[in-house]
Amino acid sequence: MSDVDEIKIDLPPLSFEKCPESDGERNKRIEIEKLIADNPGGSIPLKALQELALGNFGLVNDDLRRVLWPQLAGVDVTNLERVPTLDELQSHPEFHQVLLDVNRSLKRFPPGIPYEQRIALQDQLTVLILRVIKKYPNLRYYQGYHDVAVTFLLVAGEEVAFAIMEQLSTTHFSECMQETMEATQRRLMFIWPIVLFEQPELFHFLQRSSVGTLFALPWYLTWFGHSLNSYKAVVRLYDYFLASPMYTPIFVTAAILLHRANVILQEDCDMASVHCLLSKLPDDLPFEDILVNSSKLYDKYNLTVIEKKVEELIQNEKEQHKLEEERRIKYRRSVSSKSNYNVSKWFLSVLTPKSVMMTTAVSIVVGICAYYYKNQYLAAGIS
Amino acid sequence: MTARNPQTLMALPNEENFDFLFKIVLIGDCCTGKTSILQRFKTGNYVERHGNTIGVDFSMKTIEVEGKQVKLQIWDTAGQERFRTITQSYYRANNGVIIVYDITKRATFANLQKWIEEVRRYTASNVLIILIGNKCDLESEREVDFEEARQMCQYIPEILFVMETSAKENTNVEDAFRCLATELKRQHDSSNVQALDENTVQLGQSKPLKSCSSSCNLT
Repeated sequence: MSDVDEIKIDLPPLSFEKCPESDGERNKRIEIEKLIADNPGGSIPLKALQELALGNFGLVNDDLRRVLWPQLAGVDVTNLERVPTLDELQSHPEFHQVLLDVNRSLKRFPPGIPYEQRIALQDQLTVLILRVIKKYPNLRYYQGYHDVAVTFLLVAGEEVAFAIMEQLSTTHFSECMQETMEATQRRLMFIWPIVLFEQPELFHFLQRSSVGTLFALPWYLTWFGHSLNSYKAVVRLYDYFLASPMYTPIFVTAAILLHRANVILQEDCDMASVHCLLSKLPDDLPFEDILVNSSKLYDKYNLTVIEKKVEELIQNEKEQHKLEEERRIKYRRSVSSKSNYNVSKWFLSVLTPKSVMMTTAVSIVVGICAYYYKNQYLAAGIS
Repeated sequence: MTARNPQTLMALPNEENFDFLFKIVLIGDCCTGKTSILQRFKTGNYVERHGNTIGVDFSMKTIEVEGKQVKLQIWDTAGQERFRTITQSYYRANNGVIIVYDITKRATFANLQKWIEEVRRYTASNVLIILIGNKCDLESEREVDFEEARQMCQYIPEILFVMETSAKENTNVEDAFRCLATELKRQHDSSNVQALDENTVQLGQSKPLKSCSSSCNLT
């Protein structure tokens, strides 16, 4: 096959483009640098750090992230564990799966990175993932976990990345790492009450399309790392999520849906079209606005209230399923009893609304006539 | 002005017209090349080392079959076992299933039984299944003989045919989809019962009481 035949068109490459620093970014960078200088040895108060990570531009650049991400994640960088070699981990049952996924994760490495360096980083990524799941045998690896790990590896290096991944795997991602994805599926439904409370029209449209929540699964499992085409947007979101409580990606997802409401409502209301539209994140999403809105939504809606509504929605869905099932069984029965079919069809054709109305009208008229006749003539003795 | 259906005066969808719409789902073990096959079919290009699929992806393509426009709606699923419970719900409404194995990985062939069980459990009985042995360009690494796959198919009546493909070298990819689409169309043409599908009564398509089936409780 010729090389021309292998043009890599479909996969949009992850853009590592470095834009010139804006005024806002520069001010924020100076503010953070000052804070780091004033608080040597990682003693910046967590609250202040979180506010920086949540606010406009997040932590601005990867040099600052390298210093501040471990602090945000609550990781002690002075007490890091020894890194085992790849050979030590080869016997792990998930080794091959992890290796397969890591080998396919080219998109996540900066273009033009020297081959040897990339291979070395990919080995580090494999080790990093296997270390976590070896240390926590109750946590199961999922495809997408490597998208999270690679982000921390590229910014913070393998030792710190392990400490951060360990921390996140036992908190934010522990639900996704359960034996099955059921809990995650249920968690994704938390999107619906938020959309319902904010924009009922959008909620009903999405429900009617029966699109489900699968479009958001890669977003949730990878903190959007798998689905965004801009590296800058990925790390910006990671600033935000590291400083946020669990389940925050749900609120970001809801904020994205609300932001795109007009576009979504114009789409054909069927599962395929809507899934297709939703699963592709546009490159020009104004993430700073979306994150502000996401935080507002988080403050506005109590998780318990959302959970209660989700239970209601699940209950409704179950009932709907039951009705559909009954309808299907009824239909099958009706098809199988073909002999009755003609009789009842005839019966029904006789019983059209028109004929029923006519018969009733004629009966009433005859009744009135009879009554009149009886009163007028019979009572008077005329026979 | 938008095109309108002459009978209902409803606006027709903007996209190209089609005579048939069939839904197909691609399943099979991890890294057998499901996404690459679909990309090759859809765009004509091949992407070495695709990222993995999380959950399901979705593509559409319209092809001409026996003079009719057949639109294929294809769901590409994640291969990892953990996503199975999630992807199962996408099997249900499908007309066709493509199960993919990797001819250079015996384990992916051995797992076919499991995938067929899945299909039997979660799809309608009239679903058409084809089997694809991908990566046939890697002849030197072959672990599964074509003859073996053919023999296996004889024992599994649901499988229409098996075909070896190479998404990389563009061997048989188009043919596989085309053959399946042709069979789906023929199945549709030949069975009138299908036309009386349970979905006949649809929203926005009210029917006169006369044509209602006997399930109406009037007797």
